[in-house]
Amino acid sequence: MDTKEEEFLKRLQAMFKIEAQEHIQVISSGLIELEKNPQNNMSLELIETIFREAHSLKGAARSVNRNDIESICQVLETTFAKVKNEQWALTAEHFDLIHKAIDTISKMVSEAVSKTSDDNRELIKMLRSITQSDQPVTVKKLSKDSKHDAQLPAEVPSAKEVVMEKKSSEEIVQAELKPRQLETVRIPTEKLDPLFLQAEQMIQSKIAFTQRTIDLKNIYDFVGSWKTELRKLETRHFTDSGLQLKEIINWTNEKLDETERSISTVVHAMESDQRSLGRMIDDHVDSMKKVLMLPMFTIIEVFPKLVRDLARSQGKEVELIILGKEIEVDKRILEELKDPLTHLLRNCIDHGIKSPEERLKIKKTAQGTIILKFTVIDGRNLEISISDDGAGIDIDKVISAAVKSGVVLKDNVEKISTLESFALIFKSGISTSPLITDISGRGLGLAIVREKVEKLGGKISVESQPNIGTTFHLVLPQTLSTFRGVLVKSAEHFFFIPIFNVERVLRVKDEEIKTVENRETISIDQEIVGIFKLSDILGLNDRAIAKFSQKGHKASSSNLTQLLVLSQGNKRICFKVDDILDEHQILVKELSRQLKNVRNISGATVLGSGKVVPVINVSDLMKSAMDSALSTGKMGNEIQLAVKIYKILVVDDSITSRSLIKNILETAGYDVTTAVDGAEAFTKVLAGEFDLVVSDIDMPRMNGFELTAKIKKDKKLGELPVVLVTALESREDREHGIEVGADAYIIKSSFDQSNLLDVLNKLL
Amino acid sequence: MKNNQIKSGQEDKIKLQEVLSVNEVASPELKRKILRARAKALALEVKDESAQQECIEIIEFRLGSETYAVETEFVREVYLLNNFTPLPGLPDFILGIINIRGQIISIVDLKKLFNLPANGLGELNKIIVLQNEKMEFGILADFILGTRSIQLTSVQTSYTSMPGISSEYLKGVTSDHLIILNAKNILEDKKILINQEIK
Repeated sequence: MDTKEEEFLKRLQAMFKIEAQEHIQVISSGLIELEKNPQNNMSLELIETIFREAHSLKGAARSVNRNDIESICQVLETTFAKVKNEQWALTAEHFDLIHKAIDTISKMVSEAVSKTSDDNRELIKMLRSITQSDQPVTVKKLSKDSKHDAQLPAEVPSAKEVVMEKKSSEEIVQAELKPRQLETVRIPTEKLDPLFLQAEQMIQSKIAFTQRTIDLKNIYDFVGSWKTELRKLETRHFTDSGLQLKEIINWTNEKLDETERSISTVVHAMESDQRSLGRMIDDHVDSMKKVLMLPMFTIIEVFPKLVRDLARSQGKEVELIILGKEIEVDKRILEELKDPLTHLLRNCIDHGIKSPEERLKIKKTAQGTIILKFTVIDGRNLEISISDDGAGIDIDKVISAAVKSGVVLKDNVEKISTLESFALIFKSGISTSPLITDISGRGLGLAIVREKVEKLGGKISVESQPNIGTTFHLVLPQTLSTFRGVLVKSAEHFFFIPIFNVERVLRVKDEEIKTVENRETISIDQEIVGIFKLSDILGLNDRAIAKFSQKGHKASSSNLTQLLVLSQGNKRICFKVDDILDEHQILVKELSRQLKNVRNISGATVLGSGKVVPVINVSDLMKSAMDSALSTGKMGNEIQLAVKIYKILVVDDSITSRSLIKNILETAGYDVTTAVDGAEAFTKVLAGEFDLVVSDIDMPRMNGFELTAKIKKDKKLGELPVVLVTALESREDREHGIEVGADAYIIKSSFDQSNLLDVLNKLL
Repeated sequence: MKNNQIKSGQEDKIKLQEVLSVNEVASPELKRKILRARAKALALEVKDESAQQECIEIIEFRLGSETYAVETEFVREVYLLNNFTPLPGLPDFILGIINIRGQIISIVDLKKLFNLPANGLGELNKIIVLQNEKMEFGILADFILGTRSIQLTSVQTSYTSMPGISSEYLKGVTSDHLIILNAKNILEDKKILINQEIK
């Protein structure tokens, strides 16, 4: 019994938390509104709402024994009763105090344990002084309050999970419009998520069903052609001995007719089933998607208070205007958007809008304005713009900070366009520099904002004019779950690339690809864009696969190379793939719980065939490409450097391991020569200029140890690194290897290519 | 203990058969008696079951030449592996991902995690989906032997060093060489969670 009661209390407390937060939200948005329009005809309604909410919160707090919260609410209620009944105006100080009280309550709600009311005595005393400052609380006043208490039904929070409620928060935010009366049911999202999965899964059944219908239709056609063939036989003249055969044919024909008829019936039935099922599933998935779409105001409710508090703390006057808050967006996107939007608003207040004095100096109004606007563009994308009428971004300061942190070379400063310099503020490279953070503060925060937006498959840009203001534009998909993707094949693996990032798809002749400083490039709109092999960047260099696909490639698509130009921000990179197959509407699913973050992969989608295809995270992929360019030293950002291709000698008596190693190294971009034993290797080493030797140990004529010793003893060759790759796993051998001076020792059984490449990277 | 149980179960069966055979020629009084005896015989089994307190239910599966087991408490379902999609850039103990009714599940190859010799993917490969509140993934099994209850006392926990398998993955070994894995520790192993954040 005890545990049951405890559990009930726990549930009750959890319910209280949710309920209390809602009351707090309504109260604080009400306060903001009230402070903005103190003498409005709406204000009476607002005061009434705040009063009621404070009262409800008090009741709720009492039912879970939170006397601490209850006592503050009591004072708030008293205050607002007075404001309500006596048309009593609150001053800015009063508002501050009430906001503080609300913040305190909010903090107390999130703490599970009830505090002694001592802690809040000071606060309560100050709150009391609001009403006392004018006239002392009379006995008459108190009795009035208690009358109100009696009028309102005591509200007890329901422990049930489903609560019917009027959308009071919506009423407040949309107060200027006439509030719609919406009946709502509260359902935990964890119950909705599987429903959504099930709905999504039905799409696959729909696709499968379509396929089955087509299959059956094919059987039907097959029977038809079979019949035709038989008819041809029938018309031939049969000899006496063939009579029996004719009989068989007749019989078969009858059976075939019968089969054809029954298949035809099934085909028709299936086709009509498929149509109605298809429509049902589409409708269902659509409705499910809508269930997960929430209006913007569910996350922006807190913004007016945030802006108010921040502005106040910095002695600035800022008005926040929010437009399009009724626009609905996928819940998952909404959740991810809260932080970036908070960052951007903070930036507007911190750095965009200056103090009233400074603003008046340049003939602006003392109060700054921030406009947060949500619009739907192209019917499926959400555009968010955040504009301030502040000082604008100082381009020169941004550029000089970028030069200081080394992101931009001094010589290139002249070449930077305004647009490019604005893009610099999103670079994390700059942001980590304390300098830029000091100058503009638009540093780390903006890099994170960009990251988040890009992760959601969106784009961010900024416009700014000195002393007129700054506007950030964000474009995001409205629903997370579906977007269009390009299906590509690389090294026998399939991937989807979000079409959002695909600037164009190219099939080019080999002649069009130019090698500049050892890096393949192509000219697009007079810009030289580097080409990377998708499989290289993803690390898909399975030897067998690479070989196989190369062969197939040569045979089929002649000398055309398939390229995808991907763009992210103002960066463009070209990726080479084996094949570009299709463009699909895809449903992106999260990778499993185990795979929290996988480099270069953002999720996966399921094809009609049931095959799972990973979806590329373009933002990661571009970074990986740049990293690989930097680590192999082949290409700087836009500036290409001369690069040395390392020459490596591979020594092994087994042709299999020789070509395996050769292949791995060549794919990694090394120039490889081979030798069959130590003796041959040593001759080659003496003749050619190698940067490294990879050698087996057990070989005829001269083994790996002897070869190493010889190389290390040679005056001219002494510095040449030697890597021993061997099947021998004994400690003595390892020690022997070290003794003769080998630089690394890799055992074949633990041999994998990344291991070898790592070692090579270290040595070269 | 286990043997006793089986024995007593068999005895019950014999008793039951005896009373059943008399049934055909029984008077009402005798019938009542038989019914009571039958009830008693059946009741014994229940009593027996409640007596075995410290039991765990396990699912047994083969991995290479060894037989392993995990507690069914951590098993969400068993799924036949038809095909899977490998992902680039992951540690080799992650085979890839599969689609189970619309949900993507990653597959862990225990042989790689335990450094056991690989013997290729056969047609009988099954996925055992393990889960707790925080984690969920499938483990690859060569084939599933079934589920049964074993007594905790029969699990030898002192013998927890197996070649290749780190001891925190092991719960214990039974006298018949069944290796019981510690599903909880495997699920909560930090190494298992892939979080490749990019700078």
